[in-house]
Amino acid sequence: MSALTLKLKATPDQRLDLSALSPAKVSAMSQGDIERLSIGIGRRSVKLGDVFAISGTPGDTLVIEGSTARLDGIGTELDQGTLIVEGDVGAYAARRMKGGRLDIRGAAGAYLASGLRGGIVTAKSAGDLAGAPKVGERFGMLGGVVVISGDVGERAGDRMRRGTIIAKGRFGASAGSRMMGGTLWTEQGFGAGPGPLMRRGTLIGPSVERLLPTFNDAGLHDLNVLRLISRYFAETLGELAPPALPPKVRRISGDLATIGKGEILLTA
Amino acid sequence: MSELSPVNKAIEINGVVIDDTFAEAFGMSGSSLIITADSIKWARICATVMTGFGTSVIGCGAECGIDCELSPNDTPDGRPGVRVLMFGFSPDALTPQVKNRVGQCVLTSPGSACYNGLLGTEQKIALASGVKFFGDGNQTSKKLGNRRFWRIPVMDGEFICEDTVGLTTEAVGGGNMLILGRERKGLLEATEAAVDAIAQVPDVITPFPGGIVRSGSKVGAKYKGMFASTNDAFAPTLRAISKSELSEDTIAVLEVVIDGLTSEAVSNAMRAGLKAVIDIGASKGVTRISAGNYGGKLGQHHYHLQKLVPQ
Repeated sequence: MSALTLKLKATPDQRLDLSALSPAKVSAMSQGDIERLSIGIGRRSVKLGDVFAISGTPGDTLVIEGSTARLDGIGTELDQGTLIVEGDVGAYAARRMKGGRLDIRGAAGAYLASGLRGGIVTAKSAGDLAGAPKVGERFGMLGGVVVISGDVGERAGDRMRRGTIIAKGRFGASAGSRMMGGTLWTEQGFGAGPGPLMRRGTLIGPSVERLLPTFNDAGLHDLNVLRLISRYFAETLGELAPPALPPKVRRISGDLATIGKGEILLTA
Repeated sequence: MSELSPVNKAIEINGVVIDDTFAEAFGMSGSSLIITADSIKWARICATVMTGFGTSVIGCGAECGIDCELSPNDTPDGRPGVRVLMFGFSPDALTPQVKNRVGQCVLTSPGSACYNGLLGTEQKIALASGVKFFGDGNQTSKKLGNRRFWRIPVMDGEFICEDTVGLTTEAVGGGNMLILGRERKGLLEATEAAVDAIAQVPDVITPFPGGIVRSGSKVGAKYKGMFASTNDAFAPTLRAISKSELSEDTIAVLEVVIDGLTSEAVSNAMRAGLKAVIDIGASKGVTRISAGNYGGKLGQHHYHLQKLVPQ
């Protein structure tokens, strides 16, 4: 495996937009061209080499070392290869990502995996609106898998249509807002009022802090789809996969303020 | 191994004559489903009913059978399962058969689920395009990776049905062997051994009852509207009044018909079946193995018996 490493020289005094950077893009470039690559910083642009010390060989893996929450847009439209980030990232990481893998070995900011279409994204924690669309866009996540080893902020999965966000920790309030499909799966539980205005989609977790009044208890169920989901993620994610779901769950249907085809599946 | 006749170049192995002939088979469209259930018993019941009345495309619309049983480790939902194969004249002919059989036999079977058993094909059958509407608007789907699964509410929970199922036009139907004997009971046992051996070969089925057909046919008949009629050359009771292929000591003939997802699978199946019969055949009264063909003019696939027998 050949890897190119970008080491942040110093914490930038402004937010840095790295959306132009991807393993595939830099793999075909010489070191000089990579250093001259323009990246956004505030209203100006700077050369990549001015901000990062570049080493290694371009290939299918790109490593960003010393990352901070001021680096936005990491992994934007990533479609192949692996991007490893040592440290925290800012907003819009994995924005419209199509394939490959983004490993954030720190906390992710808001709008992680916004409009994600494919691939695997991991992070230690995620801010608000994970998987959500930008203002004015019709859909949030459209595919792919996000695995968060800690907690996720509020309104995760907003306007999500496909794909899965798995949290080993908790989802914040209003997870699955305006959801149209896809799956949110937490091992620790949901914050208050999950699923406002959700039409379809599945929220899976052991508990809910407080249900919205527009969700109805549909009782206990033995759902084969849970075996299918458990098995799929065990095979796809390996050790990242959460424990297999129990055979019986309590199904809460909603949001009945809309068509009510969404569901919260309580595993405990 | 000894050569019997310089004319037809038949050979004899282990007391069984192997004709110098070939099985003539046809290109077909094939598809495969994995059916799972809460127990292997119910997966078997569902698969057996679903593949029923699937002996010949001529009268049944499709040729269907069970390829193998699958352990929970080998199914998408981790439950026991059965892989079934279905074959038809063309994609257009096979598609309604697959969909109708799923709608009438799999949807209805307790605890069943239905998945694509033929991954990676370019062509697909829109498996759930009809049956999902049984949910009457309450059906939902879950997309996992590139595969979509429909969840259709039914009285025991949900029927899971994969959105599409693979379809191949590289399938082969009509691989066959004719097994001749001087004693019906022993012949049946030897032919059963062939079917059992073929059952171990992946990607093939033997679609007739128990894998065996006793009514081998020829094309056409004296009666208008009959597409096929008794194969008089291999019907022992017609020996004296037809151009018979049978010697005087032949009491009965049984045929094994093989359909496979690939020509190689059919070859492997014929090889396994021939070996099984040859190994025990003579002791069971088997005298000869032949094969059905149309002079090589109709089918694209020819399986020469003597090239497939154990050397």
